[in-house]
Amino acid sequence: MVEVPMTGTVRRSLLARLFVETRSVMPAAGSTGLSLVLVIATMCFLASLTLGAVLAVNHATQSWTRQLSGALTVEILAVEGQDPEMQRDAALTALSKTPGILTAKTLSRDDVAALIQPWLGVDVAREDLPFPQLIDVRLDTSAPPPDLDALAAALEKSAPGVRLDSHRQWLDDINGAANAAQGLSYAILAIITLTTIAIVTFATRAGLLANHEIVELLHLIGARDNFIASEIQRHFLLLGLRGGVLGLALSLLAFGGMSIVMNSSSLLVSMPTIQPWTLTSLLLVPVMAALVSVITARMTVMRGLGRMM
Amino acid sequence: MIRFENVGLRYESGPEVLRDVTFTLERGSFHFLTGPSGAGKTSLLRLMFLDHKPSRGLITMFDRPIATLARHELPDIRRQIGVVFQDFRLIAHLTAYENVALPLRARGKSEDSYRADVIELLQWVGMGERLDALPSTLSGGEKQRVAIARAVMGRPRLLIADEPTGNVDAEMGNRLLHLFVELNRLGTSILIATHDRELIASNPAPALVLHKGEVEIHG
Ligand SMILES: Nc1ncnc2c1ncn2[C@@H]1O[C@H](COP(=O)(O)OP(=O)(O)OP(=O)(O)O)[C@@H](O)[C@H]1O
Ligand SMILES: [Mg+2]
Repeated sequence: MVEVPMTGTVRRSLLARLFVETRSVMPAAGSTGLSLVLVIATMCFLASLTLGAVLAVNHATQSWTRQLSGALTVEILAVEGQDPEMQRDAALTALSKTPGILTAKTLSRDDVAALIQPWLGVDVAREDLPFPQLIDVRLDTSAPPPDLDALAAALEKSAPGVRLDSHRQWLDDINGAANAAQGLSYAILAIITLTTIAIVTFATRAGLLANHEIVELLHLIGARDNFIASEIQRHFLLLGLRGGVLGLALSLLAFGGMSIVMNSSSLLVSMPTIQPWTLTSLLLVPVMAALVSVITARMTVMRGLGRMM
Repeated sequence: MIRFENVGLRYESGPEVLRDVTFTLERGSFHFLTGPSGAGKTSLLRLMFLDHKPSRGLITMFDRPIATLARHELPDIRRQIGVVFQDFRLIAHLTAYENVALPLRARGKSEDSYRADVIELLQWVGMGERLDALPSTLSGGEKQRVAIARAVMGRPRLLIADEPTGNVDAEMGNRLLHLFVELNRLGTSILIATHDRELIASNPAPALVLHKGEVEIHG
Protein backbone atom coordinates (compact mmCIF):
# COMPACT_ATOMS: atom_id res chain seq x y z
CA MET A 1 0.00 0.00 0.00
CA VAL A 2 1.81 3.09 -1.18
CA GLU A 3 0.94 6.24 0.69
CA VAL A 4 -0.94 8.80 -1.30
CA PRO A 5 1.13 11.95 -1.52
CA MET A 6 -0.43 14.84 0.27
CA THR A 7 -1.18 17.82 -1.93
CA GLY A 8 -2.68 21.23 -1.38
CA THR A 9 -1.56 24.20 0.61
CA VAL A 10 0.84 24.00 3.49
CA ARG A 11 -1.85 25.11 5.85
CA ARG A 12 -4.14 22.27 4.89
CA SER A 13 -1.43 19.67 5.12
CA LEU A 14 -0.28 21.00 8.45
CA LEU A 15 -3.84 20.78 9.73
CA ALA A 16 -4.12 17.32 8.29
CA ARG A 17 -0.93 16.39 10.08
CA LEU A 18 -2.34 17.61 13.35
CA PHE A 19 -5.60 15.74 13.13
CA VAL A 20 -4.94 12.78 10.91
CA GLU A 21 -2.33 10.11 11.45
CA THR A 22 1.23 11.43 11.37
CA ARG A 23 2.69 10.48 8.04
CA SER A 24 5.20 7.72 8.12
CA VAL A 25 8.71 8.06 6.84
CA MET A 26 8.49 4.57 5.44
CA PRO A 27 6.06 3.71 2.69
CA ALA A 28 4.21 0.55 3.70
CA ALA A 29 5.76 -2.76 2.84
CA GLY A 30 5.61 -2.34 -0.92
CA SER A 31 2.51 -3.78 -2.49
CA THR A 32 1.99 -6.36 0.25
CA GLY A 33 -0.44 -4.12 2.16
CA LEU A 34 -3.75 -5.36 0.82
CA SER A 35 -2.77 -8.99 0.49
CA LEU A 36 -1.39 -8.93 4.01
CA VAL A 37 -4.68 -7.54 5.33
CA LEU A 38 -6.52 -10.37 3.57
CA VAL A 39 -4.19 -13.02 4.94
CA ILE A 40 -4.50 -11.66 8.47
CA ALA A 41 -8.28 -11.49 7.99
CA THR A 42 -8.30 -15.18 7.03
CA MET A 43 -6.21 -16.08 10.06
CA CYS A 44 -8.50 -14.09 12.34
CA PHE A 45 -11.57 -15.68 10.77
CA LEU A 46 -10.19 -19.14 11.55
CA ALA A 47 -9.10 -18.07 15.02
CA SER A 48 -12.53 -16.58 15.82
CA LEU A 49 -14.31 -19.72 14.62
CA THR A 50 -12.06 -21.90 16.74
CA LEU A 51 -12.32 -19.68 19.77
CA GLY A 52 -16.08 -19.29 19.38
CA ALA A 53 -16.50 -23.06 19.09
CA VAL A 54 -14.40 -23.84 22.15
CA LEU A 55 -16.19 -21.22 24.22
CA ALA A 56 -19.59 -22.51 23.15
CA VAL A 57 -18.64 -26.10 23.97
CA ASN A 58 -17.28 -25.04 27.35
CA HIS A 59 -20.44 -23.17 28.11
CA ALA A 60 -22.66 -26.11 27.17
CA THR A 61 -20.55 -28.56 29.16
CA GLN A 62 -20.62 -26.33 32.18
CA SER A 63 -24.37 -25.97 32.16
CA TRP A 64 -24.88 -29.72 31.71
CA THR A 65 -22.39 -30.44 34.44
CA ARG A 66 -23.97 -27.95 36.78
CA GLN A 67 -27.43 -29.40 36.25
CA LEU A 68 -26.27 -32.96 36.74
CA SER A 69 -23.75 -32.66 39.52
CA GLY A 70 -26.24 -31.15 41.95
CA ALA A 71 -28.49 -34.16 41.56
CA LEU A 72 -28.47 -37.89 42.23
CA THR A 73 -31.08 -40.48 41.47
CA VAL A 74 -31.77 -43.55 43.57
CA GLU A 75 -33.33 -46.32 41.55
CA ILE A 76 -35.31 -49.03 43.31
CA LEU A 77 -36.08 -52.06 41.18
CA ALA A 78 -38.94 -54.34 41.93
CA VAL A 79 -37.51 -57.53 43.38
CA GLU A 80 -39.49 -60.73 44.00
CA GLY A 81 -40.37 -61.11 47.63
CA GLN A 82 -39.50 -57.55 48.55
CA ASP A 83 -42.00 -54.99 49.74
CA PRO A 84 -41.52 -51.85 47.64
CA GLU A 85 -42.39 -49.66 50.62
CA MET A 86 -39.79 -51.35 52.79
CA GLN A 87 -37.18 -50.99 50.04
CA ARG A 88 -37.98 -47.32 49.74
CA ASP A 89 -37.88 -46.61 53.49
CA ALA A 90 -34.55 -48.42 53.80
CA ALA A 91 -33.13 -46.27 51.01
CA LEU A 92 -34.47 -43.08 52.56
CA THR A 93 -32.96 -44.01 55.91
CA ALA A 94 -29.60 -44.59 54.30
CA LEU A 95 -29.89 -41.23 52.59
CA SER A 96 -30.83 -39.43 55.77
CA LYS A 97 -27.65 -40.70 57.43
CA THR A 98 -25.52 -39.08 54.72
CA PRO A 99 -24.52 -35.44 55.27
CA GLY A 100 -24.76 -32.88 52.46
CA ILE A 101 -28.11 -33.97 51.12
CA LEU A 102 -30.70 -31.25 50.76
CA THR A 103 -33.81 -33.16 49.81
CA ALA A 104 -34.78 -36.69 48.85
CA LYS A 105 -38.11 -36.84 47.10
CA THR A 106 -39.78 -40.02 45.98
CA LEU A 107 -41.28 -39.57 42.55
CA SER A 108 -44.91 -40.54 42.23
CA ARG A 109 -45.97 -43.33 39.90
CA ASP A 110 -47.28 -40.75 37.44
CA ASP A 111 -44.02 -38.79 37.44
CA VAL A 112 -42.05 -41.93 36.69
CA ALA A 113 -44.50 -42.91 34.01
CA ALA A 114 -44.11 -39.52 32.40
CA LEU A 115 -40.33 -39.91 32.42
CA ILE A 116 -40.40 -43.36 30.89
CA GLN A 117 -43.11 -42.84 28.34
CA PRO A 118 -41.01 -41.12 25.65
CA TRP A 119 -38.59 -44.09 25.71
CA LEU A 120 -41.16 -46.85 25.56
CA GLY A 121 -43.70 -45.08 23.47
CA VAL A 122 -46.69 -46.57 25.25
CA ASP A 123 -48.88 -45.34 28.01
CA VAL A 124 -46.97 -47.19 30.71
CA ALA A 125 -49.22 -46.03 33.51
CA ARG A 126 -52.02 -48.13 32.15
CA GLU A 127 -49.93 -51.24 31.59
CA ASP A 128 -49.42 -53.45 34.51
CA LEU A 129 -45.63 -53.32 34.32
CA PRO A 130 -43.23 -53.73 37.21
CA PHE A 131 -42.16 -50.17 37.79
CA PRO A 132 -38.92 -48.97 39.26
CA GLN A 133 -39.35 -46.41 41.99
CA LEU A 134 -37.17 -43.31 41.72
CA ILE A 135 -35.93 -41.00 44.48
CA ASP A 136 -34.73 -37.63 43.28
CA VAL A 137 -31.91 -36.50 45.55
CA ARG A 138 -30.71 -32.87 45.59
CA LEU A 139 -27.30 -32.11 46.98
CA ASP A 140 -26.35 -29.09 49.02
CA THR A 141 -23.93 -27.52 46.50
CA SER A 142 -22.54 -25.13 49.11
CA ALA A 143 -21.36 -28.01 51.32
CA PRO A 144 -18.57 -30.44 50.42
CA PRO A 145 -20.02 -33.22 48.24
CA PRO A 146 -20.82 -36.52 50.01
CA ASP A 147 -18.67 -39.58 49.48
CA LEU A 148 -20.64 -41.07 46.60
CA ASP A 149 -18.92 -44.47 46.70
CA ALA A 150 -19.76 -44.90 50.38
CA LEU A 151 -23.31 -43.75 49.77
CA ALA A 152 -23.71 -46.19 46.87
CA ALA A 153 -22.45 -49.03 49.07
CA ALA A 154 -24.74 -48.03 51.95
CA LEU A 155 -27.75 -47.89 49.63
CA GLU A 156 -27.05 -51.27 48.08
CA LYS A 157 -26.70 -52.80 51.52
CA SER A 158 -29.93 -51.18 52.79
CA ALA A 159 -32.16 -53.38 50.66
CA PRO A 160 -31.90 -55.55 47.56
CA GLY A 161 -32.70 -53.74 44.31
CA VAL A 162 -31.58 -50.31 45.50
CA ARG A 163 -29.03 -48.59 43.22
CA LEU A 164 -27.43 -45.16 43.10
CA ASP A 165 -27.13 -43.38 39.75
CA SER A 166 -24.72 -40.51 40.21
CA HIS A 167 -24.66 -39.64 36.49
CA ARG A 168 -20.94 -39.84 36.90
CA GLN A 169 -20.25 -41.94 33.84
CA TRP A 170 -22.22 -39.53 31.73
CA LEU A 171 -20.42 -36.54 33.27
CA ASP A 172 -17.01 -38.11 32.74
CA ASP A 173 -17.85 -38.77 29.12
CA ILE A 174 -18.95 -35.18 28.53
CA ASN A 175 -15.94 -33.75 30.27
CA GLY A 176 -13.55 -36.02 28.43
CA ALA A 177 -14.99 -35.00 25.08
CA ALA A 178 -14.99 -31.33 26.04
CA ASN A 179 -11.36 -31.50 27.16
CA ALA A 180 -10.31 -33.17 23.95
CA ALA A 181 -12.12 -30.52 21.92
CA GLN A 182 -10.49 -27.81 23.99
CA GLY A 183 -7.00 -29.21 23.56
CA LEU A 184 -7.50 -29.49 19.84
CA SER A 185 -8.76 -25.91 19.64
CA TYR A 186 -5.76 -24.55 21.50
CA ALA A 187 -3.47 -26.46 19.17
CA ILE A 188 -5.27 -24.93 16.20
CA LEU A 189 -5.01 -21.44 17.73
CA ALA A 190 -1.29 -21.96 18.28
CA ILE A 191 -0.81 -23.01 14.66
CA ILE A 192 -2.77 -19.99 13.44
CA THR A 193 -0.64 -17.66 15.61
CA LEU A 194 2.61 -19.19 14.42
CA THR A 195 1.50 -18.94 10.80
CA THR A 196 0.60 -15.29 11.29
CA ILE A 197 3.99 -14.61 12.84
CA ALA A 198 5.73 -16.29 9.92
CA ILE A 199 3.73 -14.30 7.37
CA VAL A 200 4.30 -10.97 9.12
CA THR A 201 8.01 -11.72 9.47
CA PHE A 202 8.17 -12.42 5.76
CA ALA A 203 6.26 -9.25 4.87
CA THR A 204 8.41 -7.12 7.19
CA ARG A 205 11.59 -8.46 5.64
CA ALA A 206 10.25 -7.76 2.18
CA GLY A 207 9.30 -4.23 3.23
CA LEU A 208 12.70 -3.63 4.78
CA LEU A 209 14.37 -4.81 1.61
CA ALA A 210 12.12 -2.69 -0.60
CA ASN A 211 12.87 0.37 1.54
CA HIS A 212 16.53 -0.36 1.94
CA GLU A 213 17.63 3.03 0.64
CA ILE A 214 15.33 4.91 2.98
CA VAL A 215 16.54 2.88 5.94
CA GLU A 216 20.13 3.63 4.98
CA LEU A 217 19.40 7.34 4.65
CA LEU A 218 17.63 7.42 8.01
CA HIS A 219 20.68 5.88 9.62
CA LEU A 220 22.95 8.43 7.97
CA ILE A 221 20.96 11.36 9.27
CA GLY A 222 21.25 9.91 12.76
CA ALA A 223 17.99 8.03 13.24
CA ARG A 224 18.11 5.25 15.80
CA ASP A 225 16.85 1.75 15.07
CA ASN A 226 14.06 2.46 17.48
CA PHE A 227 12.75 5.34 15.36
CA ILE A 228 12.90 3.29 12.17
CA ALA A 229 11.18 0.36 13.85
CA SER A 230 8.34 2.53 15.15
CA GLU A 231 7.79 4.01 11.71
CA ILE A 232 7.47 0.52 10.27
CA GLN A 233 5.50 -1.11 13.05
CA ARG A 234 2.80 1.56 12.82
CA HIS A 235 1.88 0.18 9.42
CA PHE A 236 1.68 -3.31 10.81
CA LEU A 237 -0.51 -2.13 13.64
CA LEU A 238 -2.99 -0.77 11.09
CA LEU A 239 -2.71 -3.82 8.84
CA GLY A 240 -3.20 -6.15 11.81
CA LEU A 241 -6.21 -4.25 13.11
CA ARG A 242 -7.88 -4.02 9.73
CA GLY A 243 -7.31 -7.69 9.01
CA GLY A 244 -8.48 -8.63 12.48
CA VAL A 245 -11.72 -6.67 12.30
CA LEU A 246 -12.46 -8.04 8.84
CA GLY A 247 -11.84 -11.63 9.98
CA LEU A 248 -13.97 -11.17 13.09
CA ALA A 249 -16.83 -9.73 11.04
CA LEU A 250 -16.72 -12.72 8.70
CA SER A 251 -16.75 -15.16 11.61
CA LEU A 252 -19.74 -13.41 13.21
CA LEU A 253 -21.60 -13.80 9.92
CA ALA A 254 -20.69 -17.48 9.97
CA PHE A 255 -21.89 -17.91 13.58
CA GLY A 256 -25.09 -16.06 12.76
CA GLY A 257 -25.74 -18.35 9.82
CA MET A 258 -25.02 -21.43 11.88
CA SER A 259 -27.38 -20.49 14.69
CA ILE A 260 -30.20 -19.88 12.20
CA VAL A 261 -29.65 -23.35 10.76
CA MET A 262 -29.52 -24.93 14.22
CA ASN A 263 -32.60 -23.23 15.59
CA SER A 264 -34.62 -24.47 12.67
CA SER A 265 -33.62 -28.09 13.26
CA SER A 266 -35.18 -29.95 16.17
CA LEU A 267 -32.52 -31.72 18.15
CA LEU A 268 -33.09 -33.59 21.38
CA VAL A 269 -30.16 -31.97 23.15
CA SER A 270 -29.68 -28.22 22.82
CA MET A 271 -26.54 -27.58 20.77
CA PRO A 272 -23.75 -25.30 21.91
CA THR A 273 -24.55 -21.70 21.02
CA ILE A 274 -22.63 -18.43 21.07
CA GLN A 275 -23.25 -16.51 24.28
CA PRO A 276 -23.14 -12.71 24.47
CA TRP A 277 -20.00 -12.75 26.58
CA THR A 278 -18.37 -15.02 24.02
CA LEU A 279 -18.74 -12.17 21.56
CA THR A 280 -16.86 -9.93 23.94
CA SER A 281 -13.97 -12.35 24.11
CA LEU A 282 -13.99 -12.65 20.33
CA LEU A 283 -13.23 -8.92 20.24
CA LEU A 284 -9.83 -9.91 21.57
CA VAL A 285 -9.01 -11.57 18.25
CA PRO A 286 -8.36 -8.35 16.28
CA VAL A 287 -6.50 -6.91 19.26
CA MET A 288 -4.32 -9.99 19.38
CA ALA A 289 -3.81 -9.84 15.61
CA ALA A 290 -2.62 -6.24 15.85
CA LEU A 291 -0.36 -7.07 18.81
CA VAL A 292 1.16 -10.10 17.13
CA SER A 293 1.73 -8.10 13.93
CA VAL A 294 3.34 -5.18 15.71
CA ILE A 295 5.59 -7.25 17.94
CA THR A 296 6.66 -9.51 15.11
CA ALA A 297 7.35 -6.58 12.80
CA ARG A 298 9.33 -4.79 15.46
CA MET A 299 11.46 -7.78 16.30
CA THR A 300 12.10 -8.50 12.63
CA VAL A 301 13.10 -4.89 11.95
CA MET A 302 15.36 -4.64 14.96
CA ARG A 303 17.07 -7.89 14.01
CA GLY A 304 17.45 -6.75 10.39
CA LEU A 305 18.80 -3.32 11.35
CA GLY A 306 21.25 -4.84 13.80
CA ARG A 307 23.08 -6.36 10.86
CA MET A 308 23.60 -2.98 9.18
CA MET A 309 26.40 -0.51 9.91
CA MET B 1 38.70 17.52 15.43
CA ILE B 2 38.67 15.18 12.42
CA ARG B 3 41.71 13.17 11.53
CA PHE B 4 42.50 10.62 8.82
CA GLU B 5 45.76 8.68 9.28
CA ASN B 6 47.05 6.38 6.52
CA VAL B 7 43.50 5.58 5.55
CA GLY B 8 43.06 3.09 2.74
CA LEU B 9 39.84 1.94 1.12
CA ARG B 10 39.02 -0.74 -1.38
CA TYR B 11 35.54 -1.88 -2.34
CA GLU B 12 35.42 -5.63 -1.88
CA SER B 13 38.28 -7.09 -3.88
CA GLY B 14 38.61 -4.12 -6.26
CA PRO B 15 41.66 -1.84 -6.51
CA GLU B 16 42.47 0.58 -3.71
CA VAL B 17 40.38 3.70 -4.26
CA LEU B 18 42.14 5.54 -1.44
CA ARG B 19 45.59 4.76 -0.08
CA ASP B 20 47.54 6.46 2.65
CA VAL B 21 45.18 9.38 3.00
CA THR B 22 46.31 11.59 5.87
CA PHE B 23 44.92 15.00 6.85
CA THR B 24 43.38 16.91 9.73
CA LEU B 25 40.36 19.21 9.77
CA GLU B 26 40.36 21.66 12.63
CA ARG B 27 37.27 22.89 14.42
CA GLY B 28 35.55 25.60 12.41
CA SER B 29 37.64 25.00 9.30
CA PHE B 30 36.52 25.40 5.68
CA HIS B 31 37.94 23.11 2.99
CA PHE B 32 37.27 22.16 -0.57
CA LEU B 33 37.88 18.64 -1.81
CA THR B 34 38.74 18.34 -5.49
CA GLY B 35 40.17 15.85 -7.90
CA PRO B 36 39.22 14.33 -11.22
CA SER B 37 36.05 12.34 -11.59
CA GLY B 38 36.53 8.89 -10.11
CA ALA B 39 39.40 10.08 -7.93
CA GLY B 40 37.55 8.96 -4.81
CA LYS B 41 36.00 12.15 -3.45
CA THR B 42 32.66 10.59 -2.72
CA SER B 43 34.40 7.54 -1.26
CA LEU B 44 36.41 9.71 1.13
CA LEU B 45 33.29 11.57 2.22
CA ARG B 46 31.44 8.29 2.80
CA LEU B 47 34.16 7.28 5.24
CA MET B 48 33.70 10.58 7.00
CA PHE B 49 29.93 10.40 7.38
CA LEU B 50 30.21 6.80 8.62
CA ASP B 51 28.60 5.17 5.61
CA HIS B 52 31.52 2.82 5.10
CA LYS B 53 34.43 1.50 7.10
CA PRO B 54 37.99 2.03 5.91
CA SER B 55 39.96 -1.04 4.83
CA ARG B 56 42.85 0.22 6.90
CA GLY B 57 44.08 3.28 8.73
CA LEU B 58 42.64 5.33 11.54
CA ILE B 59 39.75 7.79 11.35
CA THR B 60 39.01 10.08 14.27
CA MET B 61 35.73 11.98 14.30
CA PHE B 62 35.16 14.63 16.95
CA ASP B 63 38.14 13.22 18.82
CA ARG B 64 36.78 9.67 18.85
CA PRO B 65 38.42 6.85 16.88
CA ILE B 66 35.50 5.45 14.90
CA ALA B 67 36.82 1.90 14.93
CA THR B 68 36.08 1.77 18.65
CA LEU B 69 32.49 3.05 18.36
CA ALA B 70 29.70 0.65 19.22
CA ARG B 71 26.75 0.54 16.85
CA HIS B 72 24.47 2.34 19.25
CA GLU B 73 26.94 5.24 19.48
CA LEU B 74 26.85 5.95 15.74
CA PRO B 75 23.61 7.99 15.70
CA ASP B 76 25.03 10.53 18.13
CA ILE B 77 28.09 11.05 15.94
CA ARG B 78 26.01 11.16 12.75
CA ARG B 79 23.71 13.79 14.20
CA GLN B 80 26.67 16.13 14.35
CA ILE B 81 27.30 15.69 10.64
CA GLY B 82 25.12 17.21 7.92
CA VAL B 83 25.50 15.64 4.50
CA VAL B 84 24.51 16.89 1.06
CA PHE B 85 24.67 13.72 -1.02
CA GLN B 86 25.85 13.86 -4.61
CA ASP B 87 22.62 12.09 -5.61
CA PHE B 88 20.52 14.08 -3.06
CA ARG B 89 18.80 11.00 -1.58
CA LEU B 90 15.50 12.74 -0.97
CA ILE B 91 12.69 10.41 0.09
CA ALA B 92 10.39 10.17 -2.91
CA HIS B 93 7.04 9.99 -1.15
CA LEU B 94 7.72 12.84 1.27
CA THR B 95 7.31 16.52 0.38
CA ALA B 96 10.15 19.02 0.32
CA TYR B 97 9.03 20.24 3.73
CA GLU B 98 8.94 16.72 5.18
CA ASN B 99 12.31 15.82 3.71
CA VAL B 100 13.93 18.86 5.29
CA ALA B 101 12.23 18.18 8.63
CA LEU B 102 13.44 14.57 8.66
CA PRO B 103 16.63 15.00 10.72
CA LEU B 104 14.64 16.69 13.48
CA ARG B 105 11.81 14.21 13.29
CA ALA B 106 14.32 11.38 13.58
CA ARG B 107 15.53 13.02 16.77
CA GLY B 108 12.05 12.77 18.20
CA LYS B 109 11.37 16.51 18.04
CA SER B 110 7.75 17.58 17.83
CA GLU B 111 6.62 19.27 14.66
CA ASP B 112 5.60 22.40 16.55
CA SER B 113 9.18 22.92 17.61
CA TYR B 114 10.64 22.96 14.10
CA ARG B 115 7.90 23.89 11.63
CA ALA B 116 8.79 27.57 11.43
CA ASP B 117 12.53 26.87 11.12
CA VAL B 118 12.00 24.39 8.30
CA ILE B 119 9.81 26.81 6.37
CA GLU B 120 12.24 29.67 6.93
CA LEU B 121 15.19 27.63 5.74
CA LEU B 122 13.34 26.46 2.64
CA GLN B 123 12.46 30.09 1.91
CA TRP B 124 16.10 30.98 2.30
CA VAL B 125 17.18 28.51 -0.39
CA GLY B 126 14.41 29.83 -2.63
CA MET B 127 12.04 26.90 -2.14
CA GLY B 128 9.42 28.69 -0.08
CA GLU B 129 6.82 28.22 -2.80
CA ARG B 130 7.41 24.49 -3.17
CA LEU B 131 7.02 23.22 0.38
CA ASP B 132 4.49 20.58 -0.62
CA ALA B 133 6.23 19.49 -3.79
CA LEU B 134 7.35 15.88 -4.09
CA PRO B 135 10.97 15.39 -5.19
CA SER B 136 9.89 13.87 -8.50
CA THR B 137 8.30 17.19 -9.47
CA LEU B 138 11.45 19.22 -8.70
CA SER B 139 14.28 20.17 -11.06
CA GLY B 140 17.81 19.01 -10.33
CA GLY B 141 18.77 22.36 -8.83
CA GLU B 142 15.63 22.47 -6.72
CA LYS B 143 16.30 18.99 -5.34
CA GLN B 144 19.82 20.09 -4.55
CA ARG B 145 18.57 23.05 -2.56
CA VAL B 146 16.16 20.84 -0.61
CA ALA B 147 19.04 18.45 0.07
CA ILE B 148 21.19 21.32 1.33
CA ALA B 149 18.40 22.56 3.57
CA ARG B 150 18.04 19.07 5.05
CA ALA B 151 21.79 18.83 5.69
CA VAL B 152 21.81 22.17 7.47
CA MET B 153 18.60 21.60 9.41
CA GLY B 154 20.11 19.61 12.26
CA ARG B 155 22.68 22.39 13.02
CA PRO B 156 25.62 20.05 12.43
CA ARG B 157 29.16 20.62 13.72
CA LEU B 158 30.46 19.35 10.39
CA LEU B 159 28.81 19.91 7.03
CA ILE B 160 29.85 17.62 4.20
CA ALA B 161 28.63 18.56 0.74
CA ASP B 162 29.27 16.43 -2.34
CA GLU B 163 29.03 18.63 -5.46
CA PRO B 164 26.45 20.92 -3.85
CA THR B 165 26.43 23.39 -6.71
CA GLY B 166 26.60 20.96 -9.61
CA ASN B 167 23.06 21.59 -10.78
CA VAL B 168 22.49 25.29 -10.17
CA ASP B 169 23.50 28.42 -12.08
CA ALA B 170 26.39 30.57 -10.96
CA GLU B 171 24.17 32.99 -9.09
CA MET B 172 22.43 30.31 -7.05
CA GLY B 173 25.81 28.60 -6.60
CA ASN B 174 27.18 31.74 -5.00
CA ARG B 175 24.11 32.10 -2.83
CA LEU B 176 24.53 28.55 -1.55
CA LEU B 177 28.24 29.05 -1.00
CA HIS B 178 27.30 32.10 0.99
CA LEU B 179 25.06 29.89 3.15
CA PHE B 180 28.02 27.61 3.82
CA VAL B 181 30.27 30.56 4.65
CA GLU B 182 27.62 31.88 7.01
CA LEU B 183 27.36 28.51 8.76
CA ASN B 184 31.14 28.35 8.95
CA ARG B 185 31.19 31.72 10.63
CA LEU B 186 28.79 30.30 13.25
CA GLY B 187 31.28 27.52 13.98
CA THR B 188 30.42 24.66 11.65
CA SER B 189 33.31 22.96 9.90
CA ILE B 190 32.71 22.72 6.17
CA LEU B 191 34.03 20.27 3.60
CA ILE B 192 32.82 20.73 0.03
CA ALA B 193 33.70 18.30 -2.75
CA THR B 194 33.52 20.03 -6.10
CA HIS B 195 34.86 20.22 -9.65
CA ASP B 196 33.83 23.83 -9.89
CA ARG B 197 37.06 25.86 -10.30
CA GLU B 198 35.19 29.14 -10.18
CA LEU B 199 33.63 28.22 -6.87
CA ILE B 200 37.04 27.38 -5.44
CA ALA B 201 38.57 30.54 -6.89
CA SER B 202 35.84 32.70 -5.40
CA ASN B 203 36.77 31.57 -1.88
CA PRO B 204 40.20 31.67 -0.25
CA ALA B 205 39.69 28.34 1.54
CA PRO B 206 42.34 25.59 1.26
CA ALA B 207 41.66 22.58 -0.93
CA LEU B 208 42.33 18.90 -0.38
CA VAL B 209 43.30 17.56 -3.78
CA LEU B 210 42.80 13.85 -4.39
CA HIS B 211 45.13 12.33 -6.90
CA LYS B 212 45.72 8.64 -7.47
CA GLY B 213 44.25 7.78 -4.11
CA GLU B 214 46.33 10.24 -2.11
CA VAL B 215 45.56 13.65 -0.69
CA GLU B 216 47.57 16.84 -1.00
CA ILE B 217 46.62 20.07 0.71
CA HIS B 218 46.79 23.20 -1.45
CA GLY B 219 46.59 26.66 0.02
N1 LIG C 1 30.16 1.04 -4.08
C1 LIG C 1 31.24 0.91 -4.87
N2 LIG C 1 31.66 -0.33 -5.19
C2 LIG C 1 32.76 -0.48 -5.97
N3 LIG C 1 33.45 0.52 -6.47
C3 LIG C 1 33.08 1.79 -6.20
C4 LIG C 1 31.95 2.04 -5.38
N4 LIG C 1 31.79 3.37 -5.26
C5 LIG C 1 32.80 3.92 -5.98
N5 LIG C 1 33.56 2.98 -6.55
C6 LIG C 1 34.75 3.23 -7.34
O1 LIG C 1 35.63 4.03 -6.59
C7 LIG C 1 36.23 5.00 -7.41
C8 LIG C 1 36.03 6.38 -6.81
O2 LIG C 1 34.65 6.67 -6.87
P1 LIG C 1 34.04 7.97 -6.21
O3 LIG C 1 32.59 7.94 -6.38
O4 LIG C 1 34.58 8.09 -4.84
O5 LIG C 1 34.70 9.09 -7.15
P2 LIG C 1 34.42 10.66 -7.14
O6 LIG C 1 35.73 11.31 -6.97
O7 LIG C 1 33.35 11.01 -6.20
O8 LIG C 1 33.92 10.87 -8.64
P3 LIG C 1 32.90 11.99 -9.19
O9 LIG C 1 33.65 13.26 -9.25
O10 LIG C 1 32.55 11.48 -10.54
O11 LIG C 1 31.75 12.02 -8.26
C9 LIG C 1 35.64 4.85 -8.79
O12 LIG C 1 36.58 4.16 -9.60
C10 LIG C 1 34.42 4.02 -8.58
O13 LIG C 1 34.25 3.15 -9.67
MG1 LIG D 1 31.47 11.74 -6.33
